[in-house]
Amino acid sequence: MKPLPLLITAFRGLTFLLLAGLALQGKAQELDVNTIVTRANHVAFYQGEDGRAETRMKIVDGNGREQLRQFTILRKNVEDNGDQMFYVFFQRPSDVRRTAFLVKKHLDQDDDRWLYLPSLDLVKRISAGDKRTSFVGSDFYYEDVSGRGLQEDRHELVATTDTHYKVKNTPLNPDAVEFEYYLVWINKDTFMPEKTEYYDAQGKMYRSIESLQVEDIDGFPTTTRMKVSDHRTAGYTLSEMRFIKYNIGLPDEVFSERSLRTPPQQWLERPSR
Amino acid sequence: MKDQIVHFATHHPKRIMWLTLLMTLLAAAMIPRINIDTDPENMLPADQQDRVIHDRIKEQFNLYDLIVVGMVNDTDPEGIYNTRTLSNLKTLSDRIEKLDGVIAHELMSLASVDNITQEGPGTIRFQWMMPDDPKAQLQPEEIRQAVSRLPMFNNTLVSDDGKAAAIYVPIEKKDLSHQISQEIQAIIDQLPPGDDYHITGLPVAEDTFGVEMFIQMAISAPLAALAIFILMWIFFRSFALITAPMLVAMATVITTMGLLIGMGFTVHIMSSMIPIFLMPIAVVDSVHILSEFAELHKPGARVRDTIEEVIRNLFRPMLFTSITSAVGFASLAFTPIPPVQVFGLFVAFGIVLAFLLTIIFVPAYIASLSDARIQKLAEQHHSSSGFKLGGILGGFKSLAAGSAKLVIAAALGLAVFSYYGIQRIEINDNPVRWFKEDHRIRVADRVLNDHFAGTYNAYMVLRKDSSGLQQQYIDQLRQLSRQSPAVKSLVDPIVDREQNFPAMLSAIIQQADNALFDAEGEAVDALEQLMALTEDIQARSKYFATPEALQYIENLQQHLAQQGLVGKSNSFVDLVKTVYRELRGGEPAHYRVPETSNQVAQTVLSYQSSHRPYDLWHFITPDYQNTAVWLQLSSGDNKDMSAVLQQVDDYLQDHPLPDGFSMQWGGLTYINVVWQEAMVQGMLKSLLGAFIMVFIAMVVLFRSLVYGVLAMIPLSLTIALIYGLIGWVGKDYDMPVAVLSSLTLGLSVDFAIHFLDRARSIYQETGHWGRTLQLMFDEPGIAILRNAIVIAIGFLPLLAAPLVPYNTVGIFLASIMATSCIVTLILLPAIMTALQRWLFPHRQGAQS
Repeated sequence: MKPLPLLITAFRGLTFLLLAGLALQGKAQELDVNTIVTRANHVAFYQGEDGRAETRMKIVDGNGREQLRQFTILRKNVEDNGDQMFYVFFQRPSDVRRTAFLVKKHLDQDDDRWLYLPSLDLVKRISAGDKRTSFVGSDFYYEDVSGRGLQEDRHELVATTDTHYKVKNTPLNPDAVEFEYYLVWINKDTFMPEKTEYYDAQGKMYRSIESLQVEDIDGFPTTTRMKVSDHRTAGYTLSEMRFIKYNIGLPDEVFSERSLRTPPQQWLERPSR
Repeated sequence: MKDQIVHFATHHPKRIMWLTLLMTLLAAAMIPRINIDTDPENMLPADQQDRVIHDRIKEQFNLYDLIVVGMVNDTDPEGIYNTRTLSNLKTLSDRIEKLDGVIAHELMSLASVDNITQEGPGTIRFQWMMPDDPKAQLQPEEIRQAVSRLPMFNNTLVSDDGKAAAIYVPIEKKDLSHQISQEIQAIIDQLPPGDDYHITGLPVAEDTFGVEMFIQMAISAPLAALAIFILMWIFFRSFALITAPMLVAMATVITTMGLLIGMGFTVHIMSSMIPIFLMPIAVVDSVHILSEFAELHKPGARVRDTIEEVIRNLFRPMLFTSITSAVGFASLAFTPIPPVQVFGLFVAFGIVLAFLLTIIFVPAYIASLSDARIQKLAEQHHSSSGFKLGGILGGFKSLAAGSAKLVIAAALGLAVFSYYGIQRIEINDNPVRWFKEDHRIRVADRVLNDHFAGTYNAYMVLRKDSSGLQQQYIDQLRQLSRQSPAVKSLVDPIVDREQNFPAMLSAIIQQADNALFDAEGEAVDALEQLMALTEDIQARSKYFATPEALQYIENLQQHLAQQGLVGKSNSFVDLVKTVYRELRGGEPAHYRVPETSNQVAQTVLSYQSSHRPYDLWHFITPDYQNTAVWLQLSSGDNKDMSAVLQQVDDYLQDHPLPDGFSMQWGGLTYINVVWQEAMVQGMLKSLLGAFIMVFIAMVVLFRSLVYGVLAMIPLSLTIALIYGLIGWVGKDYDMPVAVLSSLTLGLSVDFAIHFLDRARSIYQETGHWGRTLQLMFDEPGIAILRNAIVIAIGFLPLLAAPLVPYNTVGIFLASIMATSCIVTLILLPAIMTALQRWLFPHRQGAQS
């Protein structure tokens, strides 16, 4: 056999592979990683102009002992995918009833946070500092509730499956956080981040967040059951969101310091079915 | 029958020796399966009540075994508050967190905890005390200020004098502690120099103890064997002959240990000393045989005949001594301490085995030696008869016979002296003190407890029984259920399912909340009533969120602080007071218990927004029905822990706990007190029991009450003298000392038995007390003295061991041997001389 036809065959094969590769790349370029994480961030934190939900957190420790937290959360976007305001009002347990949190989330500066403790009749500003502290004793961090700025991490699309994008996020300032990196599985259809895993310096996964149930509410895919697991303590927190409603027309006054002492009753009531 | 056995042995020496070898090898094959256990908790049975409570407390409050790493800087005027030391601390702490087997999130050090501060008016801040981010880092002086404001950390993470910092490293399993502490040492070795480091903590001490114990088993026991071997050679000058007792000792030790390990028992500090206890006991009888053999064997006689005669002469005293020693040790089975029980029973087994080997193996061995060799021995022996012991014995004899009354008076004087000494005995123990003064663990212990509030932990747990409230609630639920089917259908399945009261309340609240959303009409009112009732009961069930309960604990802590023994106590109250103060603006005046339960709950909710909310659960359970006060003691001495228990008891007497409240104790320092008390009482009982049993055995074996009483005199005086001396010298009555009482009992009766039995049979031959006494101080006296010297000196190598219990055993053996030998050889003949008319009534023996 002469060498030439063999070369030609090989060349043809190579061309085919290259073309196929380009085609694949083209599709991926269509959705680069920044687009994916931006859309995911939107779905997780910014859907609608505003919204409300009643949350029940079951905090279970490594020994299986439970604590319960029940609160209503009101949210309003100042700007889509930008600044936001949150108001959290506690109903249970009864000894912390009427405790309230107010958060003004800023992308270009530290968030403003206030806490109201009714039995001490005390409004306290909470220094922003570190947002990776526990949210009221649960396995959620403040940052899990209000969202982590996309600009704080470097994002890489590490895998694409039939159903999910797998994105690796590495912090730009590793000293400011306890994790080395985290992986997020984002649903290709809904762009819902359905699973997040945090890894430490040893490459051990020590913390995870799972979306256990997603429902369509007012046309928005919405996580209604979530679980955060702390694999170090063997504890977890189960969060159930109910009575969710989007675009309810929350006025800005709801997110004022005044609301801490005088809860905006009208907006805390459950919407009629 | 005994004659037949010995006869068989002397005629089939090879078979006996092969059999012994086989038994020993079989047992030796078990030894590699050894499983070392150095956990002091195992001094109590796993189901012992205090231990069960201790375990429950550990689980309830997520408490782990801790390695404590101490950093000391004595040179810098600012102590540890300088940039280099703090940076070393952070590096060390961060790198320890990454080690396998370390429970990283529970590690406590300045580098792993939150600082709670005021940041401008009305602003509270939870921030890492030593964050990674260089921009957020505090200056050393700022850290000093912060620590001084946080009572939970001050004098726990940094010493009061600022010269020492501590890292508390929780570990997953105790048996990892040796490895982890070595890895920590490796990290320390790489740090910039300038600071001193100490690694301690109970798990490290235990693990180190295990390692050194093992070494001691491999060194001390063989070393003692070597010393005994040399001494016997000096006395008998024949390697061939003295090999016999050494073989008996080895076969006994190996078989007993092999059996212990093969039966699945762990080797505890006590059982590791079995070889050392068995060695002298196994050798003693053989030395009697060798002495007698060397004495009786005349040139030309047949070896078999001589040895059979020797065994005939010695069988009774050897049987008696073996039985009494075995009884003394077996009586340890009555103590409530499993390792001590195992120790006692296996030593008793070893004693019986040693006896059997002595009467079977030794004759077989001697019979197997060639006549020519024995011949040479006998000639040698008779030419150097008695060594230099004859002179000493002569002195003893003239003292006993010539000044009998003086000797008896002196003995009475010593008894009185001992009585007062025993009164002075202080019962006390501390496992860390099982290491010698200059051991690095003792040094670390001393340095760290010098600087800090204390590295010894005890937990005082207050509980409130909620069964009354639960009953009341269930009654009220029934009432509501009768009025409303909606309530009934909701409540019934939960009440049936949930045994746990807090879980029941939580479930009913959740279900009622769900049901309220769908409910209509009457059901709404009933469900709202149910909700209100349940929330009210839930709030009331959180007893340790009430200001009254917190106040009580605060007062108790203050009381303990004033008493001095407790270096520091940490509780939920301290935590609440600190956070409350910061919420109120940080003024010292606000460092107090909040006014209402809701204030407490909201203070706690604020604290839970920190990096380590789970630290809360070290002090209180999530249902607020149990709370733990962590006491730090700078002394691990049981007497100090006992004094603290007494202080608390006294306080409870004057300030009774409210109805339904109870207190329980946990922590290793407390557990040590529990097993010590159990052991002291158990040992006393077992010693008394053994004393009575030995007495009865003596009366039966001698078939004489008088001889029974006589046999008990040397051992009684020996025990009294030794414990009297302990009292006068001021040595603590600790675990090894307690256990040695049975050895004293078993060994010190030996010489008396030999003396009395031989004296009686010689008297039967001579019919003359003076002549008997003369003969007694020949061969029998020499055998006793030789034995005493061999064992007393043979165990002196134990004094070089780095573990105090081994030293104690060495000193004890020497004292037991010396005392009981002297008492037997002087006091017994003196008493017998004084009472000769009464003791030997048949023939009026005249004194020479």
